[in-house]
Amino acid sequence: MSIIIGILEEGLIYAILALGVYITYKILDFPDLSVDGTFPLGAAVTAMLILKDVPPVLTLLLAFLAGALAGCITGFIHVKLRVRDLLSGIIMMTALYSVNLRIAGKANLPIFSKETIFDNPLLQQLFPEALKPYRVTLILLLITVICKILLDQYLNTRSGYLLRAVGDNDGLVTSLAKDKGLVKLVGLAIANGFVALAGCVYCQQKGFFEISTGTGAIVIGLANVIIGTKLFKNLRLPGRDAAAEGGAKRQRGMKATTAVILGSLVYRGCVALAISLGMAASDLKLVTSVLFLIILVMSNRKGKKVVSHA
Amino acid sequence: MKKGMTRILAMAMAVSMMAGCSSGKPTETAADTKEAAANTAEDTTAAGDTNESATEKAEMTTEEAYTIGIGQFAEHGSLDNCREGFLKGLAEEGIVEGQNLTVLYENAQTDGGTASQIMANFLAKDVDMICAIATPIAQSAYSAARDTKIPVIYTAVTDPVLAELAGEDGTPVGEITGTSDKLPVKEQLEMIRTLLPDAKTIGILYSTSEINSASTIEEYKAAAPQYGFEIVESGISGTADIPLATDNLLEKVDCLNNLTDNTVVSVLPMILDKAAKKNIPVFGSEIEQVKIGCLATMGLDYVSLGAQTGRMAAQVLKGEKKASEMKFEVITEASFYGNTKVAENLGLTIPRELSDTATELFDEIVTE
Repeated sequence: MSIIIGILEEGLIYAILALGVYITYKILDFPDLSVDGTFPLGAAVTAMLILKDVPPVLTLLLAFLAGALAGCITGFIHVKLRVRDLLSGIIMMTALYSVNLRIAGKANLPIFSKETIFDNPLLQQLFPEALKPYRVTLILLLITVICKILLDQYLNTRSGYLLRAVGDNDGLVTSLAKDKGLVKLVGLAIANGFVALAGCVYCQQKGFFEISTGTGAIVIGLANVIIGTKLFKNLRLPGRDAAAEGGAKRQRGMKATTAVILGSLVYRGCVALAISLGMAASDLKLVTSVLFLIILVMSNRKGKKVVSHA
Repeated sequence: MKKGMTRILAMAMAVSMMAGCSSGKPTETAADTKEAAANTAEDTTAAGDTNESATEKAEMTTEEAYTIGIGQFAEHGSLDNCREGFLKGLAEEGIVEGQNLTVLYENAQTDGGTASQIMANFLAKDVDMICAIATPIAQSAYSAARDTKIPVIYTAVTDPVLAELAGEDGTPVGEITGTSDKLPVKEQLEMIRTLLPDAKTIGILYSTSEINSASTIEEYKAAAPQYGFEIVESGISGTADIPLATDNLLEKVDCLNNLTDNTVVSVLPMILDKAAKKNIPVFGSEIEQVKIGCLATMGLDYVSLGAQTGRMAAQVLKGEKKASEMKFEVITEASFYGNTKVAENLGLTIPRELSDTATELFDEIVTE
């Protein structure tokens, strides 16, 4: 049982990150490497704020804003300074390493003794003792679902539609007399906001900030997104299918955001499985890449068209 | 649109509910925690079981079989020695791997995410104890095992107080204790002074991402003037920065001194090579570094550090003491290790006052 809880906890945190990566990679078609910097940025901001006795819930918002600001800068470098997308991400990621160290003051900042969103007096009262082992999971689930709903809502607004259009056909956006650069910037801001939020939650759950946590965040995020969209996107839910047939035929299969969250859980599940099967942790990356490959190949085999972006 | 509004409203409510959480006063917190703890003890059967098995362990120490999950943060000589020593220490107390001890060993390969996954896995396997080697994984272990009764023993944590694993006075913050690999800074400086009477500046390379190095650097800076040295530090953010930083540093200093910095240690052979070309001595911080070509160290023997940790672990496993009752320990005696071959290459001789007290002298440079 506790291994499942472990998978859910880790998986849900990285699901928030995956939502951000989904925006850049799938919607905007922008390989955004700044994620490796914004994830620990969220953690650094959180650790610093919590040590200054800022209410833990407020840190969620502030971390999001910090990430969004970093995303804006990546966007600015790309759009206004005309630096290639990959490079602007790399520049931001590298710069953020120093920024994170400055914010936190040192490479490792523990907040064990402080209250967090997972551990505070009100929660102690709110949650019955029987539910205690599931407390972290439930809170994480709440946060992730809120993030998902917010994102879904946003994608259905005018600005959200423009965002999707930029990734698919940016000429259309220009023909609508909209600035595609600005739309990209907004997209990057939101995406990195989510990533920093994931970093914030990660830091509060683990009880410490560590500069090295960001390394490989983008890989995990991409894996989650790809596994999710490949495995679940085309999975048809019976109920929803009927609804789709009856109503306007716009919803087919699972929503991409849901798929991404599930993908994150599957990914963590596979990692946990690999570890508990006695696989050396040093072989994990190999296992991950093989898993990655299998899923990619399988979804190609199905004869489905591989759409490069949603 | 209406639906959307309802959702947003519901969310706003949820957020405001949670916002209330954080305003509790510290005094209340303490009381609540106590209450919660009491409840846990009474209500959950699992807790009762653990208590029972703990008393059982105390009664029949020799018959009991244990399972320990060892999580190591990175793979390099010093930490491997810790693990080896840990098992040795346990064996001294009659807890022998293969007989009455099952060891689950995992290495996080410096990945924080993997570290917490490893800990979740240990909890799932219901180990009797978690042993965490190096600071970041010790913190992962503490955060994972906090709500359980599983004790955590750590080693190679340079500053447990700074890592919030122990309070200011060395008492543990929970069921967690262990040993610190704090470097004997003063002894090291004194040793360098004996070997190099004319040296003025000491260069230190460290990685900005390692908290253990940051705190040691501060200590060096504070103690150096006493011995007439000036510390020139050079921070790097990854192995790729090291060649340039080394070249730059070698222009400015009379000798280099190495910390237990994982990043720097992993490319030590290259640094040694560059320094040797300029005939500048490099001092190490532990035995493995002297083996591969550092001139000397007043340092730690990680095997005995591990053994000390193993003996502490045995006390906890046998139920003689609880982890929360034991302060973390440091190795008090620094031992001298020297490499005569390196000294010869540099045209130095290791003075008798040092070589006579040496724990071990190497007469060759081991290249791996």
